Amino acid sequence: MKIWSTEHVFSYPWETVIKAAMRKYPNPMNPNVVGVDVLDRGLDEKGRLHSHRLLSTEWGLPGIVRAILGTSHTQTYVKEHSIVDPEEKKMELCSTNITLTNLISVDERLLYRPHPDNPDVTVLTQEAIITVKGVSLSSYLEGMMARRMSANARKGWDAIEWIIQNSERENVPLCDIY
Amino acid sequence: MNSVGEACTDLKREYDQCFNRWFAEKFLKGDRSGDPCTETFRKYQRCVQKAIKEKDIPIDGVEFMGPNKDNST
Repeated sequence: MKIWSTEHVFSYPWETVIKAAMRKYPNPMNPNVVGVDVLDRGLDEKGRLHSHRLLSTEWGLPGIVRAILGTSHTQTYVKEHSIVDPEEKKMELCSTNITLTNLISVDERLLYRPHPDNPDVTVLTQEAIITVKGVSLSSYLEGMMARRMSANARKGWDAIEWIIQNSERENVPLCDIY
Repeated sequence: MNSVGEACTDLKREYDQCFNRWFAEKFLKGDRSGDPCTETFRKYQRCVQKAIKEKDIPIDGVEFMGPNKDNST
């Protein structure tokens, strides 16, 4: 079992980051996500928005890893539950793979909140528990997955920034003078 | 972005546009006045559920909340 966690600060207010996070895919940094669907969505009694989504992803694992894991499948499905609390300014996402579960489980949690010391910026806390099952070299493979997640996390942050900047460009008025 | 069910992609895009507008302009601004996307979502959801069955994706066990469901626990 490998536990991985990281923290990142976006220099944008929480609402801006959340709107981008809701529209994260597609983006050029995460080409591995090839399909996203909303399975269900609704408000709870506290006014928080719950969304259940299904993502299909291409692992892009090297051939040798696929050989070790004994699978030729490259597409996996992930289910994600997110909760947006507009009063507390919290957006939490929890995801887990629902295929290849006999081989590996990756449970990930993301939390977006305004920075406690600066309400104009947003902190993303991201953590994952990775377990490779029933295979020798499991801790080696777990380490490799953690490194891949680190690399993907960086791409994820770039993706959010890209979405924000591309939306901002659409909203720039014609004759704004700085 | 495509849907997991190829035939559902257009319905997905229509719903996403509606939702993103509601999310940014109403929900995040504290406006709780009704959800304009219910009908679009219903059509889209029907298509996705069909695709999930056809592709045999193991997604049972999702607690469907829905805006009109009674969630007394």
